[in-house]
Amino acid sequence: MVQTPPPALAAGIEKFVFPGETEPVLAGISLTLVPGSLTAVLGGSGSGKSTLGRLLAGWLLPGDGGTLTGFFELAGTTVRFTGTAADPQIDPGRWGRQVGFVPQDPAGALSTVRVTVAEELAFGLENAGVDRASMAGAVRDTAALTGLAHLLDRDPATLSGGQLRRLAIGCAVIQRPAVLVMDEPFASLDTDGAEVLAALVRNLAQDGTAVVIMSQRAEPFLHTADTWLVLTGGTVAATGTPAEIVAAGALEMAGVIRPRPLTVARPRAGVDYQSAVNGPTALELRDVSFTYRRTRRRGWFKSQPGPPADPVLHGLSLTLDAGEILAVTGPNASGKSTLLRHLNGLLQPTAGSVLVQGRNIGGHPAGQVSRDVGLLFQQPRDQLFERTVEREVRFGLGRDGLAADQAVQRALAAVGLDHLAGRHPAELPASQQRLLALATVLARRPSVLALDEPTVSLDGPGLDRLDRVVRSTTADGNAVVLVTHDLDYARSIAHRLVCLEAGRLRGI
Amino acid sequence: MRLHPLTSLAAAGSTAVITTAAASWPVSLTVIAAAVGLSFAQGAARRMLPAAAVILVPLVLSLLALHGLFFPEGTTVLAQWGPARVTAQGLQFALERAAQLSAAVLVLLLGSFTVSVPDLVAVLSTRGVNARFAFVLASTLTLLPAISSRLERIRQAQEARGLVIRPGIPGRVAAFRWQAVPLLLSLVEEAGTRAAALQARGFGSAGPITSYRQVLDSPVQRWARVVLLLAALAAIVFRLWQPTAGA
Repeated sequence: MVQTPPPALAAGIEKFVFPGETEPVLAGISLTLVPGSLTAVLGGSGSGKSTLGRLLAGWLLPGDGGTLTGFFELAGTTVRFTGTAADPQIDPGRWGRQVGFVPQDPAGALSTVRVTVAEELAFGLENAGVDRASMAGAVRDTAALTGLAHLLDRDPATLSGGQLRRLAIGCAVIQRPAVLVMDEPFASLDTDGAEVLAALVRNLAQDGTAVVIMSQRAEPFLHTADTWLVLTGGTVAATGTPAEIVAAGALEMAGVIRPRPLTVARPRAGVDYQSAVNGPTALELRDVSFTYRRTRRRGWFKSQPGPPADPVLHGLSLTLDAGEILAVTGPNASGKSTLLRHLNGLLQPTAGSVLVQGRNIGGHPAGQVSRDVGLLFQQPRDQLFERTVEREVRFGLGRDGLAADQAVQRALAAVGLDHLAGRHPAELPASQQRLLALATVLARRPSVLALDEPTVSLDGPGLDRLDRVVRSTTADGNAVVLVTHDLDYARSIAHRLVCLEAGRLRGI
Repeated sequence: MRLHPLTSLAAAGSTAVITTAAASWPVSLTVIAAAVGLSFAQGAARRMLPAAAVILVPLVLSLLALHGLFFPEGTTVLAQWGPARVTAQGLQFALERAAQLSAAVLVLLLGSFTVSVPDLVAVLSTRGVNARFAFVLASTLTLLPAISSRLERIRQAQEARGLVIRPGIPGRVAAFRWQAVPLLLSLVEEAGTRAAALQARGFGSAGPITSYRQVLDSPVQRWARVVLLLAALAAIVFRLWQPTAGA
């Protein structure tokens, strides 16, 4: 007789309610994670994926974090919660040794007080009182597993986004937890980065770790998962194998994005980077080069060695006409975001010039250029800083109250957030944060829209909103430059595609 | 060779004690010159000297005002306004005290600006110092860069929405009023998520903690620390025995 192995983690969540709220954020969820299995929890923005992930991982504790009715079974021990003061308390440190967690923002998992990657990896082991020799071995093994071996002496603050994610995974798996929960690990990774991550997940599962991935995109890799759990409104809409879920059509209903098949939607222009639409020139780059300044010397006599200052952009020339959509693609760290920051004057080229509506913006403060060029940042949380959604969109709209009111209303309606004007931006799910950031840009009615990875963290409905905004803004005669690693999306929307690789442009 | 953090702190502490106890012009000036010279050699002058100025300028001015104007034992009167008299002896006393104080402050600042904070945290953790205290100490190294990069991000977001900031430091200072509240709120919010991450990684758990970072120590340095502490003690005893020495 074949015996089923005991689950690494099982959870039965009858309901989970945040403090001060009456409606449960999660209800009727049952989950069993067997060692060595891969489970994908799929759902649109606000479906409760992140809450479920943080609850499973002990980052959100029943009691202080909310009222839970249900049970967890971890390593053969069952803890039951009835939503009363008599409920058991979870020790997050001991729970964390069994269940590792990689949050959506990998930097959020780091201690921030360790000065090398090796020490950051060892932080959890130090707190568990592991002896030095065992720590050194674990750091070595984890670094090899996560591809960090050549970065062990680097300061974590200097890592790229992809490296940071691998470090966060390393920190989560170094104590060999039975379960690893990852929240949107594929967001903003390019194809190479996604393949490295997929290989890493496969290795972990082969070693017996039960891996759970929360995602709002049914990435190709997730089709190899054993089980899919589709969430809508905090409850299970469907569960089964990927094939069963796809056949039932549950993804579309839940707002989960299915990567589009490769299609070429429009004829592409040649490699001269000239405009594909015949309108007046909205934006022109003339021979733009850029090099980040060397790290400043810290002392007066003895200087600290900084990283070598390689040029990020090499002599880029480009024109963009009114009403045109240009997509810039390229691998991670190829200088795409740096390029966009030149368009609104946040960065000034070290050589060459940027012209907006025929006017050289060199020497003009970014605050002035931003009247014509609206920039959507790569990370919405870098763009949002106010206390309410409404204040966020209103910032910088001038003193004319009535005109500002109308602009705020119009922008919020365009992205479908007008019913959330009083909410705190940090409380919104990632997809709505991205749309809010887009609204702050739209409210100023810029003639050039520069969008940095606009599709990242958008769910199905969010993506539709973005599509509508981009198309209507170009129909009004404005130009759009968008930077994306998502080639399918770029092809589906742009008039023209260029690729930025190692700071140089080439046509696709 | 890099000094063990406790050796540099012991050296700074005992030099400050000995200089104060000696209360002698030449000793104070020598220590001041040595501390400033070492700060340049170590590349810490740029950060240390402004900090020293912030501490010492008001202290030295108040010493001069107090002892320079009101020194009852003074006999050589240089100038007089009613009860306030500037005497040569008063000025000399004030300058001696100022030199003594400057020497102690500079040498302590040199110690704290040149000690390797990660090494110090590792040493303290393994010696059973409270993990939370060690964390706060380690934060001194990472907190300021983290705050300034957060501030830079908020500033860029606001500039992208039309906030015109004049170039240079005065422009940034004037624009700071727009950034202060968002900065504070975002730091508070981040502290909440960071707390969950730290707890899940076992921070603050009961039980012994270890340190991955290896800090090199040597018998010579251990002996040096003992000698430095004994020298400081001897200076105090000597000073109490001969209360007028050097004054």
